[in-house]
Amino acid sequence: MSERSRTSIGRIWRRGLIVWVLLLAFLALSLFAAYAAPASWAAPINFGIAATQAALVALLLMRLDRADALVRLAAACGLFWLAILFALTLTDTLSRLANS
Amino acid sequence: MSGASSDASTLANPRELDLGLPVSYLAEGRSVASWLFTTDHKRIAILYALSITFFFFIGGAAATLVRLELFTPEGNIVGADTYNKLFSLHGIVMVWFFLIPSIPTTMGNFLLPLMIGARDLAFPKLNLISWYLNMAGGLLTLAAVLAGGIDTGWTFYVPYSTVFSNTFVTLAVLGVFVSGFSTIATGVNFIATVHYLRAPGMTWFRLPLFVWAMYTTSLIFVLATPVLALTLVLVIAERTFNLPIFDPARGGDPILFQHLFWFYSHPAVYIMILPAMGVISEVITCYARRRIFGYSFMVYALVAIAVIGFFTWGHHMFTSGMSPFAALVFSFLSFIVAVPSAIKVFNWTATLYRGQIGFESPMLYALGFLGLFTMGGLTGLFLASVPIDVHVQDTYFVVAHFHYIMVGASVSAYFAGLHFWWPKVTGRMYPESWARFAALLMFFGFNLTFFPQFIAGYLGMPRRYYTYPPEFQVWNVLSSSGAAVLAVAYLMPLGYLTWSLFFGGRALNDPWNATGLEWRTTSPPPRQNFFGNPQVLAPPYDYHPEATPPGDEPRIAEKGALT
Amino acid sequence: MSAGGDLIEKTAERHLREPWDELGLAGDRAFAYQRAGATFGIWIFIASEVLFFGALFLLYTAMRLEHAADFAIAARETNIVYGTLNTALLLTSGLCAAIASQASEQKGLQRLTLWCLGATVLLGLAFMAVKGVEYREDIEKHLLPGASFALKEPTTQLFFGFYWLATSIHAIHLSIGIALVVRLIWKEWREPGFLFESPQVEVAMLYWGFVDMIWIVLYPMLYLDGRAG
Repeated sequence: MSERSRTSIGRIWRRGLIVWVLLLAFLALSLFAAYAAPASWAAPINFGIAATQAALVALLLMRLDRADALVRLAAACGLFWLAILFALTLTDTLSRLANS
Repeated sequence: MSGASSDASTLANPRELDLGLPVSYLAEGRSVASWLFTTDHKRIAILYALSITFFFFIGGAAATLVRLELFTPEGNIVGADTYNKLFSLHGIVMVWFFLIPSIPTTMGNFLLPLMIGARDLAFPKLNLISWYLNMAGGLLTLAAVLAGGIDTGWTFYVPYSTVFSNTFVTLAVLGVFVSGFSTIATGVNFIATVHYLRAPGMTWFRLPLFVWAMYTTSLIFVLATPVLALTLVLVIAERTFNLPIFDPARGGDPILFQHLFWFYSHPAVYIMILPAMGVISEVITCYARRRIFGYSFMVYALVAIAVIGFFTWGHHMFTSGMSPFAALVFSFLSFIVAVPSAIKVFNWTATLYRGQIGFESPMLYALGFLGLFTMGGLTGLFLASVPIDVHVQDTYFVVAHFHYIMVGASVSAYFAGLHFWWPKVTGRMYPESWARFAALLMFFGFNLTFFPQFIAGYLGMPRRYYTYPPEFQVWNVLSSSGAAVLAVAYLMPLGYLTWSLFFGGRALNDPWNATGLEWRTTSPPPRQNFFGNPQVLAPPYDYHPEATPPGDEPRIAEKGALT
Repeated sequence: MSAGGDLIEKTAERHLREPWDELGLAGDRAFAYQRAGATFGIWIFIASEVLFFGALFLLYTAMRLEHAADFAIAARETNIVYGTLNTALLLTSGLCAAIASQASEQKGLQRLTLWCLGATVLLGLAFMAVKGVEYREDIEKHLLPGASFALKEPTTQLFFGFYWLATSIHAIHLSIGIALVVRLIWKEWREPGFLFESPQVEVAMLYWGFVDMIWIVLYPMLYLDGRAG
């Protein structure tokens, strides 16, 4: 039993540490991009990196990768309704800005 | 029965006794603590029923004063400030502490586990917590009223609510915020219950439509309420902590508030109407002795209304300064949501076709719902088209429209369900003739109150003023007289239903010969809901099939058992 | 470790709650079912929270679209050292939370679970401490919107309105997360073996992961804008 638990400890840690290193690397990358990238590029890069980091956390730390279909559906619903909120509100905001 | 005692431990009909049945949920513990710390979904439903009845009459009292004031064109009874506080109180209490919790938290709580053959909701403690959150929210809002009131209207529009109003906005907003957690908790609970605790054989397309209605309502609870919660936090932050957010004087965008507010508050209308549709589907099938016409389309329509309802909020904002392009998009999307609503009305009507229709009181309320919902829905189409909306925006036309949906339809359905399941919940029968009279009175009182408002509004009478030009008086006198009738009609059930608790005859387990698992247990059910594990063998509404004429079959059919 | 045979025997019953215990399933299947239900429940709540913070992010998006230049000026004033440090702290706490959650499901890993929960709490508290120091510095720099605000461009105040609001809402969520984890540790201390297979560990850790994700999105909004050039 201790044999098994030792291997499972190893597996849990290895997997977690890889994700952690990736997350910190992305953090460093976004910090670098914020200063080095041209101003118009910085925001898309930084939010792209943030989205990637959030996806890593959701998939590998919160284990959406091995979750039930139902759980994934719940997460997808959150994002879908978020898209409704953003799309329709920005329809107004952007068309008002374009006309002003 | 001669037994005038309130002893609820003896069950149902004497014929059905002597089976060694467990005591009913009502008899399991009589102390106050056994109610306040219960995790039984049925008892929590009763707690909710008591609290929403309390809030209903508070909101009703405010409406009574509003209608009294509007009897004459001059301000005779209250001044402008008090009038503003009265309609705000009426709106806030009725929307958040009566209509939104009304059917889901009472009938939904009570019936959802029973209808799917479960012992309780998935998270019983969370269910109790949600009642306490609801009470806390309600009491905070009432505290705002006692402290001096709030005059923003139920919509809390900025910058008035955050910069200008001198009333107790923060307290009231905090109350609504807290009650939002209560509805989210209920939504999480219902969704998990429907997914995980259905009895064997209870497949998704065997669910009663009431369960589908609860499920789709819960989706809205969970996905819309958080946006309102954040919006209210923003109001509190701007008002209390003086952070610049919406104030146009400091660069903010007040239209953004309206987007966020209506992202919740338009789907909130569907929170009120979807459960009503669920109740109506149960009642109409039972009293027409008919299978529901087009079950799967009824399901798709519920889901479609819940989802499309999220795409239409902008039709509340056509005159807000929103861009005309966005107004066009929202107008188009608003027309689309009429399609599933129409499907439902047609299918209920088709269910009645060749049915053996009985005019018992729940059915009278349900038929009233059909008419009033159709009226409210059709006038909604007027308001979805931009030119007409601009003409009648902020007039009594809008007031009449949303009262037809939210009061005419939703409250009729609430009373239909209340009468339909009263024997199951309490184990007592109410006096049927009184109930029928109240149902008819409510229908006529409602139309007398609100139909004149369509005309006054179309002629240009604005809402939210305590005085008005004398030419509108005839419509307002009609409306206020109707309100008096309506008030009597609402008070009557309070009287005879309370009477029935003590003096009503004992109810049979299935007094209406309805199908559905909730009728397959005692009235009132035991704590564990069922004896043994229920199994579902047939689709719901096992009355006469659509194509066959009922012929001479007895109205009290022998079949209909699901278990 | 203390995960003896009798403990394993008891586990399913110990965590099984009404109404899941009356489904007519065998003990371990009923428990797996209850666990799946709890996970699903917290995920529905997370979907709900996505909309809560989504509305906040929409506020930022709309305001930034309307006042892009002022937002860049204002974002330059936040302290990027504290911000980046806090991001690293939270990412690390997320790692500990995830490991605690997975370790709690395995036999014989109670001590690892407990240590990781402890580390999660400490990292969370460290985040709050850094945030407190940062808040004090912000106040000293007159970055609180109002009459004595440091920047002269008018809508820079909108940015800082968002800054204070978003960070405090996040801090409230994080405090709830810390309280949840402390409660788990306390439960384990009162009743050793509690953490093993407890659905509450996974639920609390999923919530923690979500609060992490919110900060990941807030970081570029609050700290990285307007740094270039």
